Amino acid sequence: MTEKELLEQLNELKSIKPNQNWASWLLSNILTKRHEQAIVRPRVKLVSFSFLHQYQKALVSAAFVVLFISTFAFAQTTLPGNLLYPVKTLTQNAKIALASKDYKPVVRMQITKARLEDMAKITDQEQAVALMSQNIQKDLQTIPQELKNISKKQVALQMSKQVQDEAKDLKNLSNNSLNKNINNLNQNIDEFQDKVFAFIFSTEEEINQCPTSLQDKLANLQKYFTENIQIVAQWSPDEITKIRTFLADISNDIKVGNCLEAMEKIESINQILQIHSLDIKVETSTPEN
Amino acid sequence: MTEQEFSQFYKNNINKVFRFIYLRVDKIETAEDITSQTFLKVWQRQIPVIASDEALSAGRQEFPLISNPTAFVYQVARNQIIDFYRQKNKKPLSLEELKEKGIDLPQKSFISQIELSFEMENLKKALQRIKPAYSEVIIWHYVDDLSTKEIAQILDKNENNVRVLLHRALEILKKELNKKV
Repeated sequence: MTEKELLEQLNELKSIKPNQNWASWLLSNILTKRHEQAIVRPRVKLVSFSFLHQYQKALVSAAFVVLFISTFAFAQTTLPGNLLYPVKTLTQNAKIALASKDYKPVVRMQITKARLEDMAKITDQEQAVALMSQNIQKDLQTIPQELKNISKKQVALQMSKQVQDEAKDLKNLSNNSLNKNINNLNQNIDEFQDKVFAFIFSTEEEINQCPTSLQDKLANLQKYFTENIQIVAQWSPDEITKIRTFLADISNDIKVGNCLEAMEKIESINQILQIHSLDIKVETSTPEN
Repeated sequence: MTEQEFSQFYKNNINKVFRFIYLRVDKIETAEDITSQTFLKVWQRQIPVIASDEALSAGRQEFPLISNPTAFVYQVARNQIIDFYRQKNKKPLSLEELKEKGIDLPQKSFISQIELSFEMENLKKALQRIKPAYSEVIIWHYVDDLSTKEIAQILDKNENNVRVLLHRALEILKKELNKKV
């Protein structure tokens, strides 16, 4: 198409016109609007926020999010007796639940300490103090158990020392509170600190004795496999491969000095032996930890 | 602006403005709605379309004088079309909403119909396919007979820019039409 042809076609578009009846109706309709508008129209236009309508859904959602976050943030500063204190407790419990298995005892310890601090600030609510004291004592009983559940000895030792460090001021905080059963709580704190100390001591000992213990266990395993080669030959190829892999890893761990990791793998081999109901034989032929 | 002044302005521009809008939207009803809103806004704003002494002495000097009212009405129309396409993805205005906006519906139905030849229909569709900035200048200059000076005022650009834009727009439209042929 040439430019001339295009311009001719564009010129033809000039024939487009609105319906004349509609055009006349529209004019008369618009003219009637003037009087109404003149009365109500303000001389100075106020600032309009009408543009916000198009973001209505997003704004409502954002407002809820802000309200939600600020409620949680404000709740963290509340004390027992306040309406929002259950929100704070809920947040603290969620923190414990979401913490990794290894770090859980430290998080629980930090929160127990925070709860003791809150308890020390209350001056007029004995019932709330008694309830808090009970919950704190439950937590103090749970923490040592959680420390024992940590599978890696070195991690367990590190976490226990952190817990011990956090637990230093517990008694001072407890003495500042209104708690009537303060002796009971203090006794629990003493027991808790003793348990943590004992756990640190035994774990350190276990780590220090690891090389000797590892050599003994390895020798016993080797002896067992040599003596029972016919029984072991009946196992599935998967299990034999698994044990070979463990033994190769143990050999590597010993070379690089990872005694504790090698020990964990020996425990895994022992578990396989237990599945075959051979644990009694192994236990009798392997030395105690 | 007196009723007489507005009526005169309306009669001079209704065909052009309607045409400009109709070529940018799909349906004739949509074009009628947007044309209604455009002229209603001009009227409600009480712009001294014709800057007469009478208008000034009537106490309407709070509104700035519009040196080119035709350009102004096209600016309003242009914004209304943009609003229409923005709202199109949401929901159509209900009859009640149209009334709230000050648009009375006709008491009797006007059977509006525009017969376009095959070539004109093709041209209209091609105008809608190219960038709005191009189709606008083509319609204003070649269909509504606006000068480059008037277009420059609507777009707030200088005349040279408008000439360049027109040239480019025409080339693009030609390519678009040839593509379809």
